[in-house]
Amino acid sequence: MITGFILRALEGKIVAMIVVLVGIAILVPALNLLTPPDSAFHIPTYAMALFGKYLCYALLALALDLVWGYCGILSLGHGAFFALGGYAMGMYLMRQIGPRGVYGNPVLPDFMVFLNYKELPWFWYGMDWFVVAMAMVLLVPGLLAFVFGWFAFRSRVNGVYLSIITQAMTYALMLAFFRNDMGFGGNNGLTDFKDILGFQVQADGTRAVLFALSAIMLALCLLVASAITRSKFGKVLVGVRDAESRVRFLGFRVENIKLFTFVVSAMFAGIAGALFVPQVGIINPGEFAPANSIEIVVWTAVGGRGTLIGPIIGAVLVNAGKSFFTGAFPEFWLFALGGLFIAVTLFLPKGIVDTIQHGFRVRKAMKAAAEAEKGRVGTDAVNPSAAQAAE
Amino acid sequence: MTFTSSIGAKFCGALLAAVMSTTALSGAFAADDTIKVGVLHSLSGTMAISETTLKDVMLMLIDEQNKKGGLLGKKLEAVVVDPASDWPLFAEKARQLISQDKVAAVFGCWTSSSRKSVLPVFEELNSILFYPVQYEGEESSRNIFYTGAAPNQQAIPAVDYLAETEGVKRWVLEGTDYVYPQTTNKILKAYLMSKGVAESDIMINYTPFGFSDWQTEVSKIKAFGSAGKKTAVVSTINGDANVPFYKELGNQGIKAKDIPVVAFSVGEEELAGLDTKPLVGHLAAWNYFQSVDAPINAEFIKEWKAFTKNPKRVTNDPMEAAYIGFNAWVKAVEAAGTTKTDAVLDSIIGVSVPNLSGGYSTVMPNHHITKPVLIGEIQADGQFDIVQQTAQVVGDEWSDYLPDSKNLISDWRKPMSCGNFNVATGKCGGKGM
Amino acid sequence: MLIRIISLIFIILSFAAPAFAQSGTDPKPLIDALAKADFAEAETLIGQIAATGDPKVVPALDAFSEGDLYFRKSDSAVFIGKTGDAGLELIDPLTGASAGPTSKSAVTKIRVNNNLRRVIDAAKGGLTLMSPDRGVRLAAADAVLASPSPENLALVEAALAKETDSEVKARMQEARAVSVLSSDRSVDEKRDAIKTIKSLGGRNALGILNSVSSSIDPSLKSDLDSAIGSIEAEQQLWDMVQNVWYGLSLGSVLLLAAIGLAITFGVMGIINMAHGEMVMLGAYSTFMVQEVIRTHAPGLFDWSLAIALPVAFLVTGAVGFVIERCVIRFLYGRPLETLLATWGVSLILQQTIRSIFGPTNQEVGNPSWMSGSFPVGGMTITWNRMWILVFSLTIFFTLLVVMKKSAYGLNMRAVTQNRRMASSMGIRTPWVDALTFALGSGIAGIAGVALSQIDNVSPNLGQSYIIDSFMVVVFGGVGNLWGTLVGALSLGVLNKFLEPSVGAVLGKILVLVLIILFIQKRPRGLFALKGRAVEA
Repeated sequence: MITGFILRALEGKIVAMIVVLVGIAILVPALNLLTPPDSAFHIPTYAMALFGKYLCYALLALALDLVWGYCGILSLGHGAFFALGGYAMGMYLMRQIGPRGVYGNPVLPDFMVFLNYKELPWFWYGMDWFVVAMAMVLLVPGLLAFVFGWFAFRSRVNGVYLSIITQAMTYALMLAFFRNDMGFGGNNGLTDFKDILGFQVQADGTRAVLFALSAIMLALCLLVASAITRSKFGKVLVGVRDAESRVRFLGFRVENIKLFTFVVSAMFAGIAGALFVPQVGIINPGEFAPANSIEIVVWTAVGGRGTLIGPIIGAVLVNAGKSFFTGAFPEFWLFALGGLFIAVTLFLPKGIVDTIQHGFRVRKAMKAAAEAEKGRVGTDAVNPSAAQAAE
Repeated sequence: MTFTSSIGAKFCGALLAAVMSTTALSGAFAADDTIKVGVLHSLSGTMAISETTLKDVMLMLIDEQNKKGGLLGKKLEAVVVDPASDWPLFAEKARQLISQDKVAAVFGCWTSSSRKSVLPVFEELNSILFYPVQYEGEESSRNIFYTGAAPNQQAIPAVDYLAETEGVKRWVLEGTDYVYPQTTNKILKAYLMSKGVAESDIMINYTPFGFSDWQTEVSKIKAFGSAGKKTAVVSTINGDANVPFYKELGNQGIKAKDIPVVAFSVGEEELAGLDTKPLVGHLAAWNYFQSVDAPINAEFIKEWKAFTKNPKRVTNDPMEAAYIGFNAWVKAVEAAGTTKTDAVLDSIIGVSVPNLSGGYSTVMPNHHITKPVLIGEIQADGQFDIVQQTAQVVGDEWSDYLPDSKNLISDWRKPMSCGNFNVATGKCGGKGM
Repeated sequence: MLIRIISLIFIILSFAAPAFAQSGTDPKPLIDALAKADFAEAETLIGQIAATGDPKVVPALDAFSEGDLYFRKSDSAVFIGKTGDAGLELIDPLTGASAGPTSKSAVTKIRVNNNLRRVIDAAKGGLTLMSPDRGVRLAAADAVLASPSPENLALVEAALAKETDSEVKARMQEARAVSVLSSDRSVDEKRDAIKTIKSLGGRNALGILNSVSSSIDPSLKSDLDSAIGSIEAEQQLWDMVQNVWYGLSLGSVLLLAAIGLAITFGVMGIINMAHGEMVMLGAYSTFMVQEVIRTHAPGLFDWSLAIALPVAFLVTGAVGFVIERCVIRFLYGRPLETLLATWGVSLILQQTIRSIFGPTNQEVGNPSWMSGSFPVGGMTITWNRMWILVFSLTIFFTLLVVMKKSAYGLNMRAVTQNRRMASSMGIRTPWVDALTFALGSGIAGIAGVALSQIDNVSPNLGQSYIIDSFMVVVFGGVGNLWGTLVGALSLGVLNKFLEPSVGAVLGKILVLVLIILFIQKRPRGLFALKGRAVEA
């Protein structure tokens, strides 16, 4: 009942968020392209590229929130799905370079030429078609999530064990992609992109479109996630998070529910990666680093998990903070970042969004002061995922 | 709770100071009486260990230039950012430096990945990057100057030295698994085989980043070295993994007398974390050592120690590369009379500045520089004893020992202005279409 | 027959000739000539100096090899230089008489390289074979063993004739055999030599035999090949043993890194991302202790690790205590939040260390008892790895006893199993929590002392161990100390058996994949906890 209440409260917020995102998708590129550079309303390309990157991270955080906030699966390996989507996009962009590479080889990307590849490895076939590449953006992370989840959820691996093996997965992938023999460019990764669908990647117009696409994709994924969580299925999902055994006893196939959510989430992450790569211009194995995946968890937690809009706000805020501090206080920004994490966990345990919502609720529920007196017990009933998910 | 609340106080203080400094910065920009120089080195994360030093060197050089009266009558101002060893962040910070802070040139990057990440940004926004670290070559950008060593300025002379002076016949090419070692080893293998070394006398082995358990690798080297031919190890092992590697060598009793190791990524800074007594005689190849006996070097070391207020601080090769790059840029700007990118790109080619080994380094049309190659043996005090010094070597961006790049040259002077001119087809653009 | 013997004697004499013919020539001008010689000329000079047969030249050769030979700029006279309080003290290379102190700028160091060091070693070997000191003779025999040459053969045989000590004699026999192989002695003598070298065994013998295999008399080819074959077969067997040892050694490092985490994460359930930083703090404590010892009491250096152990334990334990009191105690019952908070703590600790000590590696020395190696059959065991194995097992069993036998251990287990019940029984649960976290942190700190001996001491030290530590604890089974032990050792051995065949990179990937698969089979690790704790 309380969950239903929150969902109804959130419905309006999600619509608002989608409106904001679509607004951004139109307004920011317009201000970038149509206003003169010295105008007060002008948004420089630099800022737009930066904000586009945040939107990709926001989508990634949303993906994680779907499995963590609603299904209780704390994945410490979501960076892997993000990177795989990015690599699929990167491979397409590499093939688009064609004979414009430094060696002028029409088929092989530069790194293959100087590492003496004679022909294209099989997994690069077809990646020069946009449709195939986009299918791979969804399929590769989806398939990995499916295979991984199929085994893990069937064996009822959960809690910390699941978190650690997802971490092992992304760590193993990182080591694998670092190897030059893998055919993905080793630690330099894929870079020096030229065209996407015939448009120059560096051109302001392309950037504006990519930015708009990121915002709209995020809005779309938010809509999908909201639809999933608000459906009957979503209710079962929350059930799985809060009391897995009970849901199983009621006759639901918990592993299938988890698997579906995990795969959808991995695909979201893949889309985020695919949008990220053309905007920052590089994808390399560093994206697989376990620390990156932990950071995703941090964004989600800062914004508030289990709220859908929380992770979006968290990702944008934390990354904006990071951009600012690494420029303004290069020597001390880790203190600020570390302090932020501690402060958020201690003082805003539910994340920014949920804490604000909680504030509203408390005001509304002033009449039921007696219940509010119970304090901790009350909040636990609202969202007991924290204790459950970790074990 | 005092702990956390003090953190909170710090955080708030930091925020406040940040706001104030940004306003201060924009004020400075409005006055337009300084020339801004970007410093793009990781100050946190895994690469901080190497890159922080270069940031300090840049600050010192800029400081000194200002003491000499600045540049074009204006003061230089360093804009330091922290890309945090995160490659996409390098691209973001490069963009910020160029388009927001409007710097005249950027000095930075260490790993090839970070350079590859920022390269498109520099070409798009038409700015200049000085890259001060040895690298694998196979690149030439209109907007980048490579003041570190190309493979022919480090690897090949080192191998020649071992073959000639120590009579080495069998080679272990041991490296960290990433692009620089892979490319260098490919070049070396082709080079050694062209000199008549049999393929069975070359062993190539790779380990992951930050590898710390070298027992198996070292005993493999020992086994490979017991084939009755003089054996040497050519190490392209990356920074962090070197300390445990050398410790294991020392402990397993592999002396430089038996199997010498020549390294391309081990300098004075890396040795500072090691007890070098068991390593005496192992070699390194660089374009500069702190032990170079030249007045200009003595002066530089003195200034560096004074600037860092630490009499134990050492100098190393990338610092020299940064020194050369900065001075070449200063000279080019003075010659051009402006910091505008195109003018500086034209005026910098052919500029000669003193290097720290007592000679002069010249910026070549391929955006690499000339410098001598020094081979040094590790001493018990953590310094190198120079056992060989070659004449000036021109950095060769396209290796002559790789089949696809041997016909390529780069010349950024007009009218050619091409980074990958194919001498066989006479066309710009790799193989030519 | 007689002619043969005479000719043999003649041959021996002719080989010995260069060694003895110039006896009595004054080595002084030869040594002085080193001042202006390049590397190639120096090599010839060393040969000539050795050929004087004068043992008085040995200190000069030693100094040359060590890089302690200088020439005075004013008159090009060569001296041995000793660095003292008053700059450089010059010593006459032959008489050993002091020539007084001088400033470093008045002299130039005579350069030396690896090749010259080898030549010097061989020359010295020949010169000191007859030394009255047994140890010196043994070293000389080793030097000759390492540099076979016909010149040395005559010297070794002359020394052998006079040698009485059986061990030295055996070593000289081997040295002689090596030189015989590369000389033009008779086939029979060479055949004996091959036998001697075969019984010597090991990699060096293999190297010697391989080096002559192309130039050997065809009639000896089969003897040589069988000798090489048998040594190789033996060596392969030892390689297996060696792999097991390497595996155990890697396992002990993993165990050390993971054991503190087995308490904070395994027993207390805190996802302690700051664990690696505790290890790092332990390593920096060692560095600080060594710095103090270096400046105030250099004699105590061999004890530095023993002193560093309690210091590291107390420092990291105290830091752990503070973290628990300030952050973690608010997060019990919310384990996931501990991941975020401790991640923040780890960032802060890293940056603090970076701000104080700088980002570069700090030098932590190995005490003499942790340097070098000793042979066991056909393999070598390095002292540091052995002590680390012993050390990690000692910590493990001490901890086990504390947990299982002491009253404090009982309290701790009670609190982690049922906090409310324990509290009702009068246990001060907050106090126990704080102490347990401090204990886990302190043990991580002790691990840092040991790891400082084999790895970089830099602010990134902890990051390189944190993931492996979590793998070990989860693989072994959370909450079970034995699981951590077995998990660490088996992962180590597995890794080291994969490494030679598939390479280090792929080996590590395979281990990770195997862990993932293993968890599917046993979702709660190797030693799963039974009972109600599972559902908690």
